[in-house]
Amino acid sequence: MRQYVTFLYRCFRLSFVGTAGYYAWMFALSAVALFGLNAYCKQFVHGMGVTGMTDQVSWGLYIANFAFMVGMAAAAATMVIPVYIYRNRELHDLVIFAELFAVAAIIMALLFVVVDLGRPDRFHHMMLRFNFPQSMLTWDVISLNGYLFLNLHICGYLIYCSYRRREPSRLFYIPFVFVAIVWAFSTQLVEAFLYCGLGGRPFWNSAVIAPRLVASAFAAGPSILIIALQVIALNTTYRVPEKAFRTLRNIIRVAMSCSMFLLISEAFTEFYTDSAHVASARYLFFGLEGRYGLVPWIWTAIGLNLTGLVLLILPISRLRGPMLAACSMIIVGVWIEKGMGLVIPAFVPTPLGEIVEYRPTLNESLVTAGIIAFGLLVFTILVRVTIPVLLGELTFDRPYTPNRNSDSLGAPVSPSSATGVH
Amino acid sequence: MMPSRLRTETVLWAIGPLFALVAVWLFFFSPKAEIPLGVSRPVAHSDILRGAWRTPLMDARESIVDGIKRPCSECHRLFAPSQAENRTLMQHKEIVLRHGINARCLNCHDGADRDKLVLHNGALVGFDQAPLLCSQCHGTVFRDWQHGVHGKTMGSWDAASGAQRRLACNECHDPHSPAYRPMAPLAGPGTLRMGDQTPHESHAGRRSPLRQWSHGSPAHGDADPSGTSDEDKEDEP
Amino acid sequence: MNIRIWEGRSAGAPKSPQVSRRSFLRSSVALTGGLAAMAAALSPLRELTDEDEFTIQKFLQKHYKEMTPEDMEVALDRIRREVEKRYQVRPDIRDVRAKTGVEFVYALNLSRCIGCRKCVHACVAENNQSRSPEVQYIRVIEMPRGTLDMEQGNHHYERPTVPDANHFYMPVQCHQCANPPCVKVCPVEATWQDADGITVIDYDWCIGCRYCEAACPYWARRFNFTEPSVPKEALNPDMGYLSNRPRPKGVVEKCHFCLHRTREGKLPACLEVCPTGARKFGNVLDPTSEVSQILKTKRVFVLKEEVGTLPRFFYYFDERYPQSIDPEAAAIARSMGIEPRPGEGVPA
Repeated sequence: MRQYVTFLYRCFRLSFVGTAGYYAWMFALSAVALFGLNAYCKQFVHGMGVTGMTDQVSWGLYIANFAFMVGMAAAAATMVIPVYIYRNRELHDLVIFAELFAVAAIIMALLFVVVDLGRPDRFHHMMLRFNFPQSMLTWDVISLNGYLFLNLHICGYLIYCSYRRREPSRLFYIPFVFVAIVWAFSTQLVEAFLYCGLGGRPFWNSAVIAPRLVASAFAAGPSILIIALQVIALNTTYRVPEKAFRTLRNIIRVAMSCSMFLLISEAFTEFYTDSAHVASARYLFFGLEGRYGLVPWIWTAIGLNLTGLVLLILPISRLRGPMLAACSMIIVGVWIEKGMGLVIPAFVPTPLGEIVEYRPTLNESLVTAGIIAFGLLVFTILVRVTIPVLLGELTFDRPYTPNRNSDSLGAPVSPSSATGVH
Repeated sequence: MMPSRLRTETVLWAIGPLFALVAVWLFFFSPKAEIPLGVSRPVAHSDILRGAWRTPLMDARESIVDGIKRPCSECHRLFAPSQAENRTLMQHKEIVLRHGINARCLNCHDGADRDKLVLHNGALVGFDQAPLLCSQCHGTVFRDWQHGVHGKTMGSWDAASGAQRRLACNECHDPHSPAYRPMAPLAGPGTLRMGDQTPHESHAGRRSPLRQWSHGSPAHGDADPSGTSDEDKEDEP
Repeated sequence: MNIRIWEGRSAGAPKSPQVSRRSFLRSSVALTGGLAAMAAALSPLRELTDEDEFTIQKFLQKHYKEMTPEDMEVALDRIRREVEKRYQVRPDIRDVRAKTGVEFVYALNLSRCIGCRKCVHACVAENNQSRSPEVQYIRVIEMPRGTLDMEQGNHHYERPTVPDANHFYMPVQCHQCANPPCVKVCPVEATWQDADGITVIDYDWCIGCRYCEAACPYWARRFNFTEPSVPKEALNPDMGYLSNRPRPKGVVEKCHFCLHRTREGKLPACLEVCPTGARKFGNVLDPTSEVSQILKTKRVFVLKEEVGTLPRFFYYFDERYPQSIDPEAAAIARSMGIEPRPGEGVPA
């Protein structure tokens, strides 16, 4: 136990050590997070009226980002499946990074729910009268916290074993890994059920929402992982096998194609039927009665997703630049599609046919940016302390002496120093 | 280019002051969070009074002429009754008789006893028994009214408690021109951030077979699509 | 175990006192700056008002269904104090429970409704809804003829007079569904259906997630996006715990059929103000009640039957020749001017 506390303390100390770039990055994230905190305090004092939300569009940027982040968290499974189901041992350690990202993503998702509450001071009512299993929101609370626990356990255990220089006991994490794979899908399913179980919102009341969420998450999640792994490869001595990028790229190709396929199915059903229920989709894609608020967004998203997909299919995406560009496009595309494209149009028009457009205010955009910055901060710290452990630089039996020139966070000097313990 | 170590030192030195800058900005210059409450258009208390919509004459003795309350018969014994349709009145000029084919005063008012109303069978009833008179022509509406389906009940919803008062026909309708008068609507909704709500052309209207009157332009606003016939209006209140 | 766990910034390099002092100073400056920024970020919290005051009593208040009569008395006392402090009015607040053998039903005659919006504003006055920002439970929709598709309706009609000859008017409020989706989705059971069919909200339990707003197919629920503002002189002191007591910010509210009135035998405010008698309210379990008569004799329908909510709010038409296109009504309006004559409404 004492060992473990010491480990946590050393990790804490380590998160304050780094290069100039690391400090600048951490400062920037902290500053944005503080701006977000400041904006949230204003919302706490004056009420949700400081957001762009209305009775007509009662969910906005927060829930949109919540949906996106749940997807990102589930995308950790895209690394776990090749490793544990297809026995791709080479990528074993990379699973840890995927799961660390899942941890950060769930923290962001939970924060987005909390800032969306009108009465955060009554959060404990959840514990006292938990409307389970009727309310899908209670399912969501369970699925997210369960997933957070699973990921914390799996990567925490593996990292700690590495720190103690002992072989992890398969019994202690393999079952959890498999539970986590199923759980990842179920978080997406529950997230989709949150929306598609509402008969009063025809735009959501569609069985294809769940597969669409899974497909788009499995495209955007690996894209973020590619970027994160590239950053790790460029800025640390940790050696990321080329195969990781190839695997992730293949996953994105398939997932993005599925996502596009499902989008087409959805659009065809809506527009060919041309029933009264098409109004929301019409508002999203073409505008309704002189209101065009979401039209530029959704077409940008579709353009980005398609361009990203085509780029990734072309061999040119083996090069770092095009690959990063394609991944960024897909992340932004999916972010728009899930946020502006999935959550908001369901409220336009209202069930009584009124059309009120939603425009996020500066304040809620700052809160959103703050949460994302905080999530990235958490992810950076987790990665920062994990790398020296995985490289065997930080173990229980010797002091960690980060020489600036050979620090795992410094510029890569000699690949020979980068040898993992596994 | 600075050596990496020196660069790190510089960044580290900069963090404190930069945080201080952030603090100063957040404390002094952080913009106030605006909530556009909108312009609330209050309504006058007199616009939402509850109860009967009219105060009709319930008793012939309530008739006010020249500021003095007196029974109808007091003046009318001086004048001979007239059977003319829609005649021009010398007195009671505020009365406009627009009651379909029911266009004679003495269809409802008794010619001999001006303090009473007269039924078709010649029976006299008081001003407070108007529904009996109306029921002679408006039978189905009267039946609805008896069951509380037509008209308005004040008091309690609970019939068993008995504390109910069903408003009489003439507490809502002017017997001389019973059709409901149009009125000015109260203020429309002005909710938070609802944006511009000037109506736009509806996309669905263009193909609708009902388009010529479902999105009525002023051109056919007052047109009567089915033609007016008094028979149609027999059941009208 | 003898390892150095204090990995300093200059670890690995021989430390001179000077370097160490510089390093300490640097950390202190960064830490101070960081703390100052944190404090500045939290500074808007200074603007919290009395209404936001955190009290153990409020924090520990139980869910409505778990309250003993004593608990309820304590809560009512607190609300009385709060209302008196804020509005200088002593409210008559009570917890009005559902009666047995009663199931409330509303019926609305679309042939009679003229779209005057008196119900909307009588409701606001009765139920202490926020005037600014505006919260209204009833929406009156001006519908073109030949459709019940509300997307073709107009919520924001402004006319010199109503009714307009080419439209009919459809007021919508909470339908008090027998299968309410809003109750199903609430994560904390802050809203539920009472024995008399009214879906109520415990304003002290709602966490403000607005899932119920998303779930409602009739757009009946409203959220307090900021502290509701009711002018002192307009406050209605006749209050129920589950109905029209002043709401805090950040919670959801909606029409509750004026339960502080109706559970004591009175009629809802929207009905009493209706100038045409288009609104009917009563106990559907009583076969002689007006609503029972309507359900028996009229062809009634509910909105969005396909969503399976089983509303307790019925609409019907009851005439062959819509009054709204009566040319005589228009002629009378022209001959008499458009304003209703003063003094025609009398207080109940």
